[in-house]
Amino acid sequence: MADTLPATTPTDRVPIGVTQARPPRRARLWWRIVVLAIGAVAFLFPFYYMIIGSLQERTDTSLKGALPLPGNLGLHNYSQINAAINLGQTLLNSIIFTAGVVLGTVVFGILAGYALAQLQFRGRGLLFAAMLLIQVVPFQLLMIPLYVQIVRAYGLADSYLGMILPYLINSVAVFVFRQYFLQLPPDLFNSARIDGASELRILWSVALPLVRPAVLTATLLTFIGPWNEFLWPFLVTKDHAKQPLAVALANYISTVAATATNPYGAILAGACVLAAPAIALFIAFQRHFVSTDLSSGVKG
Amino acid sequence: MRSRTLIVAVAALTLGATAACGDSGGGSSNSDAAQARGPINIWYSNNAQEVAWGKQAVAAWNAAHPDEKVTGQEIPAGKTSEAVISAAITAGNEPCLIYNTAPAAVPNFQAQGGLVPLDDFSDAKDYIQQRSGSTADQYKSPDGKFYQMPWKSNPVMLFYNKKAFTKAGIPTDNPPLGSYADFLATAQKVVSAKGAKYAIYPAPSSEFFQSWFDFYPMYAAAGDGKPLVADKKATFDNDTGYAVANFWKQLYDAKLAGKETYNGDSFADGLAAMASVGPWAVAAYKGKVDWGVVPVPTPNGGSSPTTPTFSDAKNVAMYASCKSRGTAWDFLKFSTSKEQDGKLLELTGQMPLRQNLEQEYTSYFTKNPQYKTFAAAAAHVVEVPNVPNSVEVWQTFRDAWSNSVIFGKQDPKTALSGAASKINDLVK
Amino acid sequence: MTTVVSHRPPAVARRGLASRVLGRQPEGILLSLPYAVFIVALYAYPLGLAVWMSFHKYIFTAPGVSVPRPWVGLDNYENVLGDPALRQAFVNIGIFLIINVPLTVALSLLLATALNAAIPFRTFFRTSYFVPYVTASVAVVGVWLFLFYSDGLINKVLGPLAPDPSWLINERLAMPSIAVYVTWKQLGFFILLYLAALQNVSKELYEAAAVDGASRWRSFWAVTVPGVRPATTLVLLLAIITGANLFTEPYLLTNGGGPNGRSATPVLLMYQRGIEQGHPDVAAAIGVLLVIGVLIIAGVQRFVERGRD
Repeated sequence: MADTLPATTPTDRVPIGVTQARPPRRARLWWRIVVLAIGAVAFLFPFYYMIIGSLQERTDTSLKGALPLPGNLGLHNYSQINAAINLGQTLLNSIIFTAGVVLGTVVFGILAGYALAQLQFRGRGLLFAAMLLIQVVPFQLLMIPLYVQIVRAYGLADSYLGMILPYLINSVAVFVFRQYFLQLPPDLFNSARIDGASELRILWSVALPLVRPAVLTATLLTFIGPWNEFLWPFLVTKDHAKQPLAVALANYISTVAATATNPYGAILAGACVLAAPAIALFIAFQRHFVSTDLSSGVKG
Repeated sequence: MRSRTLIVAVAALTLGATAACGDSGGGSSNSDAAQARGPINIWYSNNAQEVAWGKQAVAAWNAAHPDEKVTGQEIPAGKTSEAVISAAITAGNEPCLIYNTAPAAVPNFQAQGGLVPLDDFSDAKDYIQQRSGSTADQYKSPDGKFYQMPWKSNPVMLFYNKKAFTKAGIPTDNPPLGSYADFLATAQKVVSAKGAKYAIYPAPSSEFFQSWFDFYPMYAAAGDGKPLVADKKATFDNDTGYAVANFWKQLYDAKLAGKETYNGDSFADGLAAMASVGPWAVAAYKGKVDWGVVPVPTPNGGSSPTTPTFSDAKNVAMYASCKSRGTAWDFLKFSTSKEQDGKLLELTGQMPLRQNLEQEYTSYFTKNPQYKTFAAAAAHVVEVPNVPNSVEVWQTFRDAWSNSVIFGKQDPKTALSGAASKINDLVK
Repeated sequence: MTTVVSHRPPAVARRGLASRVLGRQPEGILLSLPYAVFIVALYAYPLGLAVWMSFHKYIFTAPGVSVPRPWVGLDNYENVLGDPALRQAFVNIGIFLIINVPLTVALSLLLATALNAAIPFRTFFRTSYFVPYVTASVAVVGVWLFLFYSDGLINKVLGPLAPDPSWLINERLAMPSIAVYVTWKQLGFFILLYLAALQNVSKELYEAAAVDGASRWRSFWAVTVPGVRPATTLVLLLAIITGANLFTEPYLLTNGGGPNGRSATPVLLMYQRGIEQGHPDVAAAIGVLLVIGVLIIAGVQRFVERGRD
């Protein structure tokens, strides 16, 4: 954060309380990097261990096994899990399921979030309360009635729509959108309203560009939920051709003890395959967290 | 905001009330459905060997009955299959037959109105008695009817790792594992000689079914085949029950059994020198462990392959949404015929719940003598009691067991007594 | 940025009946209609049924099967509140929240602030903090178990300081261990939320603070923290909600209730009672109590926040 401040402070205005002898900026920077690096190692180590484990030919649970030993490495686990569950088809199902949810959430969630944040209309409080209530109630409570509804009332068993529907508009994302829209000053919108713009227009031209990082964040986060979701798609689809990867992986785990040569390694291989697209997506998106300067919006 | 939430809750309540009230519908009469024929759906476990068996059975039937086609599908065994089946029953889209019905779940499914009593079919009772003999009786529901067809069992026996025993200087032909005293001594020996880190390592977690693999087999053996609950009363609140509990407590106290969740198969990974498990594990241990098998120990020794043990059975049930029940019943008979039971034996190594197994399939047992022990035990298996709230009964037991025997927070006698009185209330 | 130029008089002066009934910006109703319809079509029935179930003796039945479902008033609630295992579960969640929530808010804001700067390897650092959130719990748990096993890596490193009984079978350490695990796993999510919020804190404010001679730490407190206040509300609420509804992690890490029921959570018991044992009425009572508990905590949090303004 020191890098965003101007390089020098006026020497004739040093107030009381500011330390006189500050260490040079580069040293402070290095401190921060060291701390971050230690944290990064703590965060990454389990994942690193997952990758090593997935590449191991034989399970090695000793300390030595944490190191990549060339003698014990191979892609055997990946081919084994691909033989057991069709990685390609299940990945495709995961993508369809997740894309449906992200689309629904981004389109309808942004509309609702904006309305809840910046617009006054009858029923606003009620909708907000309902949104909170849905998040607070645990899924296990709603699971069976929801299943009955989707399968019996709407007849959507074994279909992508049946999988997507309960997640179509992620209430957490709506909440997130609302909070970020709240961060924008209302004057911004009032001036546009006075100019006679419609709310949809204001949302599109004024609000959205300013919360782009938030929208990207929420999109990314909405992605994770259905991507890793096991229980619901599992309930709704019995047809193997439609099951997403998370479900196939969980199925595999429950039967893996019987067959694989390195069951634990095979599980980790599946988990790595499941995690890889999400991480790739994140790396691609996080470049777009560019700060927008709010002040220019109000003056302009 | 809080008043709004109240309004939302009340609105939801009213909506839900109206929805719940509208929960009605007609059902077809039983006798009509019992004759109906047509294509049916079945589910089987997703265990690879059972899938293989399922597919060939379905293919064989479909070849002979082109207008009564059977479509088979996998569902998982284990933690989530109850949720799946229960949800399917409620929604009305469960299949005709499920080849993975756990006997412990049958009372719940029955209470839901999800099961078809097989007695609706005129030849069912005779068929079942002829196939399974007296073992079939413990699968009757309290009203005397069969809501499940006894299908296959995995008699729980004691596997031991020959290499670990040799390392500890214990004979692998007839290891001293018959009585509790012998077992404890052997266990101590193998761990001290570093044959394995633990002597035996059943899952210490508190899911309701875990007691079926540590407590129940030994209770069956020690108590001469008495189930957990009989005549609407818990039976384990006595010396036999305490003996089994104390035996296991000693194992845990001496750190001969592990208290933490282990994320793999402890026996296959060489972490434990013994395991109490059924014949399905033989396929899993192939190539990993050189194993031997003996009956589970009893307090004073003298156990033989015909000593009772836990069955770990999985049965077949016919479910209420089935329209073509005539076809379903015929397929059920077909899939439990001598030929198909033989295929089950060959493909999975699990014991069909059929009388006189060794005599019926002599060629198989000649080729695979290591399964003979299981076949002998299969005739003397004890099932979980078919009582109302059976899952809750087992959960209550497991919680008391976990608290006293595994984690030593309570005296086993007190814990078991407490569990027994709670269970007596549940099965009234 | 263009705006539509028109010659209509300002909207304020034309507030007619429609506007008074429907609110100043009635388009809000249209914009939020899809979401509202979604909620009603999908969640009204399950939610309503859940509340209804908690006051009746209820089991799920096959279609066409009717069983008596008598009103039992508060019986299910008495059952729940009188059950020591359930009371313990609520206590466990309390312990979890006390450890997890402050840790989450503090760490995620600090890390987000650090990651917001133009440091070398920024992408690498951001990704590494995000990775645990993305990976399925089922797989990560295995690694965590390996690390915290009684003779696992952590205990080997700690040597004589290692707790006995080991972490996850220790009554006092089981829930805190899970709290640390969940904090670690979810941190990426909250860091992202803060990162996005930080983009909207105007650079000018930092410049002004620097001109006034504020140290980095001071400008953090004076500029950053107030600037992301809506995000902090979000993070707090979401952390509380996720924590209260904890199910997967205790289930996977301690397979059920843990030592002496010390890592059981209300949702775990809800799953056991409702789905495994076929008593959805009791499960519904647990659920309703949980929701009320969370709403109270959220309400207290909002109250404190408003007081601070």
